[in-house]
Amino acid sequence: MKLRRRQLIGWGAAGAGAVAAAATLPGLWRQWQSARVPPLPESAPPVSGMQPLALLREFDYGTLKQENGRTVREFRIEARTNAIQLNPAVSFVSWNFNGRVPGPTLRVKAGERVRVLFVNRGGHAHSMHFHGIHASAMDGVRPVRNGAATIYEFDAEPFGVHLYHCHVSPVARHVSKGLYGLFIVDPPGGRPPADEMALVMGGFDLNDDGRNDIYAFNGVPNYYLRHPIPVYQHQPLRLYLLNMIEWDAAVTFHLHANFFKLLRSGRTLAAAEEADVVTMGTAERHILEFAYRDPGIYMFHPHQDAIAENGCMGQFRVLPMDGSATPVEPVHGGHG
Amino acid sequence: MHQTVVRRLLPLVAITALLIACAAETEAPKPTATASTPATESMAMGGGRKVNINTAILSELDKFEGLLAIPALSNRIQAARPYASPEELVSKNVLTQEQFDRIKDQVTVEEIVLTGRERDVDYLTKLGLMRGHLIVARELIERQQPEHALPHFGHPVEEIYLDIEEQLAERQVPEFKSALLKLQDLVKFKPDSPEIAPGLSAAFAAIDKAEQAIPAAGRTQPAMVLGVIDGLLEAAAAEYSAAVNNGKIAARIEYEDSRGFVLYAGQLYATIGPQLDKADPKTAEAIAVGLRKLAGAWPSIEAPNPPALSAEEVAASVKSVEQAAQKFAT
Repeated sequence: MKLRRRQLIGWGAAGAGAVAAAATLPGLWRQWQSARVPPLPESAPPVSGMQPLALLREFDYGTLKQENGRTVREFRIEARTNAIQLNPAVSFVSWNFNGRVPGPTLRVKAGERVRVLFVNRGGHAHSMHFHGIHASAMDGVRPVRNGAATIYEFDAEPFGVHLYHCHVSPVARHVSKGLYGLFIVDPPGGRPPADEMALVMGGFDLNDDGRNDIYAFNGVPNYYLRHPIPVYQHQPLRLYLLNMIEWDAAVTFHLHANFFKLLRSGRTLAAAEEADVVTMGTAERHILEFAYRDPGIYMFHPHQDAIAENGCMGQFRVLPMDGSATPVEPVHGGHG
Repeated sequence: MHQTVVRRLLPLVAITALLIACAAETEAPKPTATASTPATESMAMGGGRKVNINTAILSELDKFEGLLAIPALSNRIQAARPYASPEELVSKNVLTQEQFDRIKDQVTVEEIVLTGRERDVDYLTKLGLMRGHLIVARELIERQQPEHALPHFGHPVEEIYLDIEEQLAERQVPEFKSALLKLQDLVKFKPDSPEIAPGLSAAFAAIDKAEQAIPAAGRTQPAMVLGVIDGLLEAAAAEYSAAVNNGKIAARIEYEDSRGFVLYAGQLYATIGPQLDKADPKTAEAIAVGLRKLAGAWPSIEAPNPPALSAEEVAASVKSVEQAAQKFAT
């Protein structure tokens, strides 16, 4: 709820437009007018300063400014180097944006001016390359040396779910060490309310041999398997899903016991197709919309099962809408 | 959250007031990142080129440290990056309004198009960084470790060449990107190729030739050479800090990068050392001592564990060399 309110404040009048649009949709969709988000379990521990259950629903709207009659959203991003405890045995030196993998989920509205103040404190030369439409000077392929800062500025277009990542060579190494994040450009009228989440699939090459040794949703292997994401029954859910796994050509995201509406690259307002698997190459991203009919525990993972069983596995804990019953315990083992 | 918003709004008011004030004299400045100002047009009233506070290296910022007599100001300016506008020096508590007013004509966040000697120093520094990569690439090739040499063949062409490509054409230097790319392909796919050793020599020769686009009289001037050494050492300190984690050399590539830069900085200093020794023996000795101390951090191509020097010690030695070099800056 808190998040939704913040978003409404951020978007101003556009939020009202989205609510009006939702009212025209039938049945279940009416409930999107008020997304319900369960409280986070207190038992879920932070990992290397990151709280994956919170990070999932954190959207960075930047700082809003009015300049020469235009709305400017200003973001401050810092490239850093720090260790992430991937599991009890593995500490991985990540290169990242703002101390987290994936980097912050930047969120703007189509047509706004975007200004990104980027400072590199990663030790190595890095950059920020945004997907979307912009001039070549703002393409972020030029390395920014350590200690230096640069300003990227462009208009947010087109609406959809995009990404940003470091473009310094070797790009696969810079990306797989953690230099990537989602860049969401909301359509002018917004989207119907939902419990919104950002999920990024990543792979880690621990010994620089050009192969992934362990995988994760949102930076920490198996976190959402051990600490399922609480959501409510019947509540419309919206996933902003990105595959940022280097070294493997593609993965096929699968949602258990459900079908999702698929909005490819988030470039549409309504879904043209439904599926329970979607194959995504590196840097491919989509919006997935769905709701759970029955309370319980449901897995999601790439259907390249070796990858799933090597860290890229998560679960939703679907709570009854009325809060009456306690849902069953999560699965701790492999994929049954 | 609210506090942040308020804190950011306050300087905005100040900026707006400033913009209005400026508009009276000139056209309203556009706060865009795309604009790049030729250095000649951004000359400050008191003379001298404006300094980009987002990108300047320590030695460029040192003039404010001297002017305002604030110890370690250069480091503080770097630490508070990024800046959306020069006025953020005040809102981020790096300077007081009074201090800022004294230097505001000399600072910018717009990209500076370098001219004259600074452009030459920047060009030679980038060629020097390429050379540093190739120096360690050769060491690793000679030790039959082509797989470890590979990134050092990649970096010059992938990271650095792009930055000087236009200048090479302008200075009428024959392109050597294709030679570097070929070398990279050979090391990757045919690591036992007899063409690698001559290819490497040809790459060094191409860099020599690119350097010679600047006439020897200017290129060998101590101030110019020291400027290049500064740039190499700053890059080395940054790479070294990325290499060290938890008191160990964790990233060999960055250790090797920094080794190459420092080795080449040492070679460059040897070309001007005797001359500086005559001019100012005390300062020359200070530079030589700093370089010798630095060299100790990279005893061989294999990283020592534990490291011979901490990242902080390396950064301090780099700073000491830069400070001494300032004395020869003119």
